[in-house]
Amino acid sequence: MTKLLITEITRMGPAFCVIGLQREKENIQSIRPIPTFANGWPHFPFHRGDILECALAPFSGTKPHVEDRVSTRGFEKSSTVPESETVTYLRKAEMAQSLPNLFDCSIHENKKGSGLFAMPHEAKRSICGCETQNLRLELCANELRATLALPSGEALRDLPVVDRDWREFIEAALSPGRGANRAARLDRFLNSQFHYKIMSCPHHFIRLGLTRPFHDLCWLMLDTLFPLPRPEWLEEF
Amino acid sequence: MPPRSLPPFDEKHRRLLEACFRREADPTAPIPGDDVDLIETGILDSMGWVSFLRAIETASGAGDLGANLHEQSASFAVLLTALRHANSAAATAGRSYSSPVLAHSSAGVVVASAASAVGSRIISSGEVDRAYGMPVGKLRSRAGIESLAYVAENENELTLAATAAQDALHSACCGAQQLDWIIATSETHHDYPSLSAQLHSRLLVRENCGALDVGGACLGLLNAFVVAQSLIASGQAQAVAVVSADVHSRTLTPGRVAGEFGGLFGDGASAFILRGVPRNDSSEGYLLGEFLFGCAGQYASSIQVSDSKDGALFVRFDGEALSRAAITRMDKVVAAVELRSGIPRSSVGGFATHQPNPRLVALLAKQCGVSPDTFPPVARNAGNLGSSTCGAALHAALQNAAKLPRGNRRPIFLASLGPGLLFGGGWLTPHENGK
Repeated sequence: MTKLLITEITRMGPAFCVIGLQREKENIQSIRPIPTFANGWPHFPFHRGDILECALAPFSGTKPHVEDRVSTRGFEKSSTVPESETVTYLRKAEMAQSLPNLFDCSIHENKKGSGLFAMPHEAKRSICGCETQNLRLELCANELRATLALPSGEALRDLPVVDRDWREFIEAALSPGRGANRAARLDRFLNSQFHYKIMSCPHHFIRLGLTRPFHDLCWLMLDTLFPLPRPEWLEEF
Repeated sequence: MPPRSLPPFDEKHRRLLEACFRREADPTAPIPGDDVDLIETGILDSMGWVSFLRAIETASGAGDLGANLHEQSASFAVLLTALRHANSAAATAGRSYSSPVLAHSSAGVVVASAASAVGSRIISSGEVDRAYGMPVGKLRSRAGIESLAYVAENENELTLAATAAQDALHSACCGAQQLDWIIATSETHHDYPSLSAQLHSRLLVRENCGALDVGGACLGLLNAFVVAQSLIASGQAQAVAVVSADVHSRTLTPGRVAGEFGGLFGDGASAFILRGVPRNDSSEGYLLGEFLFGCAGQYASSIQVSDSKDGALFVRFDGEALSRAAITRMDKVVAAVELRSGIPRSSVGGFATHQPNPRLVALLAKQCGVSPDTFPPVARNAGNLGSSTCGAALHAALQNAAKLPRGNRRPIFLASLGPGLLFGGGWLTPHENGK
């Protein structure tokens, strides 16, 4: 049995992609359990910080998703660690300070428009943590996008936000039952309180991921943003 | 003939949309009908849709187009309507996205908010005297400096500037993505990427927000203001961040320069959010008046700083001559501002001037015949902050004014100097309702 500390739960179309941390002696590495039938889980009832016991088998997936392991039976929750402790472990796993170090490869700008991508055969991994000097979320039409500054000073723009909890928070903020001007109110929240709540949090941390190859390119996305959103924030705007 | 879903109101916008679409989709792709949802039909995926929107924002200058399309279909019809609205809103505000024109309908440029920051290490002037090998008490008795603000190890021009800029954005309730330009000035930041470029990344402003560095040393803030004012007045911008940041303590160090010069300087930053205001606008703030500038070249040799080949710093500093020139010239600037603005100096609420050192500030107040209390004390506790001195003083003057009821606020005069001897001045007046 393998113990995994769940750190990522992301939206991938109608399914969820899950990543956890596995400790092997002093080494902490990211592992992506996948079902035998697909790349994502249609239903995943657990949360970040849960420690799950599972049985994993090696999987010769395509690069750069070298973290993939096939889960041969279900998950069993054994305990939970607080959010701040989860981030402490994430800081000991894959980390980078600059763009080329994120996935140990060159990162390319979409020449036609927005977004950044890596070449599948060049990237050495598909997930990496980093500190940010600044971070902004915005709604572009109906799409949630993140723009952030790495410690190196490099700015990454228009990354899709696939973090399950943040996506659910945004959807809840825009639900019709919340009255008028929802998008404008959310925009104000993202431009004011959000910055102070997130950037000033001692365990502020993000993880960036690569999509599965799509037309031979792996696009960068914001997989995880700590701290996770709190339902009571919805009462503030 | 089937009815069109939209009137042919703007063929220019349509051409722009088609060009951006072809870039995103495929050069040979047929242009979809106006009402076709590009995502639902699979013509573009979500990445392509956002990319398409960003291309339109950049090409049209309508920087917040995507932010206003929530819960709308991903169609040409929606985009054409949004572009029309964006253009008419810009025209109302006195600018055009496609062809900048003078903003005749604009009442002026308002300083919507201000902020300042200084290095986190406060060092007594006696300690600085010792570090430079001067008699303890010299900086206090000769220059009136009580302490100096120096950066800590983890601070620099960028961190100070970003702190001030973020505070100013917050005070103005202005999102970073609303900025059209960042104009930065610094007399100590000589690295590349430049300060404005680094701030652009740090603040995460829109990619098509401009970034410009202006020089002028201690006059830099006023230079930045006049550039920002011109950009707004010409319709090129609606919101501009003017930011200054200076870290002298890493350049002017004991052993490199004399204490009589290096001991005067501290580290700080200031930031201001400037906005164009339409007529009848009732928002709070101070309106920028006019600026005047010049160069009194006869004093050029009183202060000169340059690098030498061996990495040392060449400094020529004739303190006595510079002091006399500074007082004379700033008095003249104040007189010129008074004349041009029609505002008597006796009715000015605050003088946000350069402060070479506190003693000269007191002399200037005396020369001008105004109370020294109208000069916010920046240099006394933080030192000469270079281009940020005037900014920190203006921030303090605006803070003092904000404590007064709106009708009781008084004008603020600006005056500063830079090596050369460059000089400049201007004024701000309280933004009263619709005036």
